[in-house]
Amino acid sequence: MLWYVFIKRSCLVLFILLSAVLQVGCSVAPWERGNLAKTQMLIVPNPNRTALRRHVFDSKESSQGGMGTAGGGCGCN
Amino acid sequence: MIKSIQAVLLFLFCSSLSAVEIGDSIPSCNRLDLSEYKNKVLLVDFWATWCPPCKQSMPFLNALRNELADKGFEIIAINVDEETEVAQHFLNNYPVDYPVVFDPKGGCPLAYDVKAMPSSYFIDKKGKIRYVHLGFRQQDESEIRARVLELLKGAL
Repeated sequence: MLWYVFIKRSCLVLFILLSAVLQVGCSVAPWERGNLAKTQMLIVPNPNRTALRRHVFDSKESSQGGMGTAGGGCGCN
Repeated sequence: MIKSIQAVLLFLFCSSLSAVEIGDSIPSCNRLDLSEYKNKVLLVDFWATWCPPCKQSMPFLNALRNELADKGFEIIAINVDEETEVAQHFLNNYPVDYPVVFDPKGGCPLAYDVKAMPSSYFIDKKGKIRYVHLGFRQQDESEIRARVLELLKGAL
């Protein structure tokens, strides 16, 4: 019975300590965002290339009745 | 059990005590010795090369500093780049006239409890923090200038 209480209390303390530690680890300080600010960290690292590829993709797919309604596959829209 | 919970709560509470409030004295910071700037109005500016608004603010701050330097105004810039060489290279290309301190470990921003980049701390002649300006836009220039002039007059 005593062991059960001891383990239960230990788990509770461990849970509280882990919560505190994980809470600290989740934040990135404003002055530590140098790596996050790099170009390669962007979701779209090269906007121009992505726009060109999307344009080509849209044009081709439009001719097949795919993505969107604009254009007729000539690549001029 | 209760003592353990109290210890955890105390730890969490203490971690939030480092926040700098208006009217507080200048926090101690290893990289920064402000003793030679007594009786001067100071603007402590935290900046980094990866922060576009920080770089945008520097020509304005430099001009403001040069204009008001003889009236007792000085800017101390604290660079928080993890790679100091990058900041040094930037300063070689775009030099400023005010002193720049390099703090790659981030001890000073931690002591000042920096909330955003850039952050400017306005310190009066008595060494008390009077205003904190977060971020920078061109529209903020007039406000920053007004705050400095107020502090130079001793209005705040």
